[in-house]
Amino acid sequence: MFVQKARWPVMAAAIAGLLLSACAPTTTTGTGSPTPGASPASKVLRMARQQEPFSPFVPWQIDDNPALFISVNVYDTLLRTTKDGTTVEAGLASKWEPSADGLTWTFTLRDGLKFSDGSAMKASDVKASLDVARSGEKSAWKDVYAAIKEITASDDKTVKIALKQPYAPLLSVLSMFSSAVLPEAMAKATDTKDYDNTLAWKTKGTGAYYSEGWKKGDPIILKRNTNYWKGTPAVDEVRIEFIPDDNTRVLKLQGGETDVVDFVPFSQIAALNTQPNVKAQTFTIQQTTFIMLNNSKPPLNDVKVRQALNYATDKEAIIKNVYFGQAKFMNSPIPQGTYYDKSLTGYPYDLDKAKALMAQSSGAAGFKMDMQVRSGNTNFANTAVILKEAWAKLGVTVDLQTIDTAVARTNYREGNYMSQPTAWTNDMNDPTEIVNYAMRGGASPFAYWTRYNNPDLNDKITKADLEQDAKKRETQYSEIQKIYSDAAPLVFIAYLGATAGWRSNIDGFFIDGLSYYRFEDVKINK
Amino acid sequence: MGRAAYIRRRLVLMAFVLFGVTVVIFGMVRILPGDPAFLILGDRATDQKAAELREQLGLNRPFLEQYWMFVSGFAHGDMGQSLLYRQPVGDLVLTRVPITLALSGYAMGLAAVITLIFGITAAVNKGRWPDQLIRIGFLFALTTPNFWFGILLILLFGLTLHWFPVAGFGETLPQHIWYLFLPALTLALQLSAVLIRNLRGQIIQTLRSDYVRTAHAKGLSERLVLLRHVLRNALLSTVTIFGLQFGFLVGGAIVIETVFALPGTGQLLITSITARDYPVVQAITVVSAVLVILVNLIVDLSYSFLDPRVTYE
Repeated sequence: MFVQKARWPVMAAAIAGLLLSACAPTTTTGTGSPTPGASPASKVLRMARQQEPFSPFVPWQIDDNPALFISVNVYDTLLRTTKDGTTVEAGLASKWEPSADGLTWTFTLRDGLKFSDGSAMKASDVKASLDVARSGEKSAWKDVYAAIKEITASDDKTVKIALKQPYAPLLSVLSMFSSAVLPEAMAKATDTKDYDNTLAWKTKGTGAYYSEGWKKGDPIILKRNTNYWKGTPAVDEVRIEFIPDDNTRVLKLQGGETDVVDFVPFSQIAALNTQPNVKAQTFTIQQTTFIMLNNSKPPLNDVKVRQALNYATDKEAIIKNVYFGQAKFMNSPIPQGTYYDKSLTGYPYDLDKAKALMAQSSGAAGFKMDMQVRSGNTNFANTAVILKEAWAKLGVTVDLQTIDTAVARTNYREGNYMSQPTAWTNDMNDPTEIVNYAMRGGASPFAYWTRYNNPDLNDKITKADLEQDAKKRETQYSEIQKIYSDAAPLVFIAYLGATAGWRSNIDGFFIDGLSYYRFEDVKINK
Repeated sequence: MGRAAYIRRRLVLMAFVLFGVTVVIFGMVRILPGDPAFLILGDRATDQKAAELREQLGLNRPFLEQYWMFVSGFAHGDMGQSLLYRQPVGDLVLTRVPITLALSGYAMGLAAVITLIFGITAAVNKGRWPDQLIRIGFLFALTTPNFWFGILLILLFGLTLHWFPVAGFGETLPQHIWYLFLPALTLALQLSAVLIRNLRGQIIQTLRSDYVRTAHAKGLSERLVLLRHVLRNALLSTVTIFGLQFGFLVGGAIVIETVFALPGTGQLLITSITARDYPVVQAITVVSAVLVILVNLIVDLSYSFLDPRVTYE
């Protein structure tokens, strides 16, 4: 039984080690010994991401974050959102100006723009791409281009966009990922009935990187575009693999098997920063988390009930206990981007006020309501547990129901719910998107499926879209935020950030206001 | 009845089992609430667009017709199109099956080695400290959730000792073997916890039988008695459990693949259930069922090698 003798010490060590490492996870940092797949001399950036893309990889067909995060590295737009996400700056166009009546915009392209295959990018490519984005059979984003009447390429470097009516958010729309420029032939081909979507992964863009193809289950490989207009990026290749488990992803970073990870759990940010070789951070993005209330179900149709629920919600407690301090009090119904009104007070925690409001409301006798929580989202689940306890003090009995995302979606679409925790992220820096989606009532999506409907507010939303003067728009949006905040169709909770972690030899990883990250600014140090 | 006839009969029975599996899985995925059309199109989609997509995907046809398309397609080797990824299901599933299969096989191999070593050690040391330690140690392995156990193994062998990678699958065959070791070990430790208890009991019982006493009386060495007379007889019931546990392994692999980021069927199954991707869920379930049935058949056949007295009637 010699085998047995050799095995014992190993087993004993293993058990002892397991117990030790369970007690003291912070002592298990990498010591710099060689690890599998360590970076070779050529500059390859290894990233581990939570999710795989699933939309077809055509910019205007993308409807999932994992795909659009790749898309902004491969395809470029006429304009770009600035890093802080509050305004736009030059992209493929170096100059842009409106006509006196605000109905025609003229964009001048940069000199010498080339696609990743070396062919020249012309105004006709811009026209073709935007035309498919705004009216293509398969486009998922037609709505945002509804104000455009016609796009013309008057010469190789000039694009003119004619509008049906003045439309203030146009520049923001043109900096969205869906406004990306593809070669004319490719743009048109993607919209044909029998287009093979796997071809879209062989990209031809004007972004910093390009892909030669991708099959689900494989890592995504991005190669640097030597024709990139901002100069060849420092990192030769980006290799993105998919690791859905949050713990595993962070462990791989600690073990040095990957250089960058996204979606670091909020609870681990502080602990990671105490370790050598690793950094983690929360970036400010335009994201909010809140509880949707079904305003058509009594007594939630009573504004006093909704305000009472808002006052009875201890946002700071949720920020501290659910988001580990990595979130901010939500004072306005829109994310912290353009025209966000920081002077609004919102609903700071005030139980007495909540009780007084509830006593005057139709819910004074107490009531029961469901809270439908999507399974698998710990933050929503923890928030719901805190709220159940908090709202009980108002005589509200919350019935927590854990359901699948698919069911949650069917239920809110059909109005078959009373409350659901959820979140929103801006896709563009202009407030028009969230205001039209989450505040305009009467038709789908029924003010973020809350069934709140205020015709007067709907008119104000329409007017703000048409207003050309930035100062006047700001005033209009402040009023819109105030009206919506007072009506409290939601329970407002917090502004969230996007988290990421990286090895300390990585420089320049940054998540911008719209939660995009571009590898063009990333450097790998020795 | 000979072995060949037995195999034929089992394969016919397998067809009935598979029929049952297809009916149950087809029914179950459709009982689940949630509309795949909106999951594919997103919240911006209009009701009309969703209706068009349901029409295009054949989701609004009668259930019987959908079932027939699923089964007849499968019989012809066509598993349909994934609703979510718009790719042939065959491409998605079949490239992943070998990984899950390799993980399960690897785990079974490790479990066999661990069971033999610790089962025999525990039995011959019955009641003394090695026996107690083995029993307590494996009770710990058995009662710990395997995703947590996996993370513990990563912390120790991946992060602290750097013996094995934290997660992933590698690119070459030696790398695969190296990368798959920890996930396979996680599964194997739990599986062997069950098997060790069984083997230990069987060996202790067999050690008391008359023919063992005879063997000892003949003057055979302890080692020879144990390996030739005791183990072969004691193994029979352990092998049965071993085979039955394959189903458990495939189930456990789904969780473990997520923890260790292995691109097997497990991750795909979880995404597909969440997205109501019916064809993919159906395909993975049916393929797994076929594998479990085949492994059980192989286990049943192995009895006759362990014990020549076994005949198939």
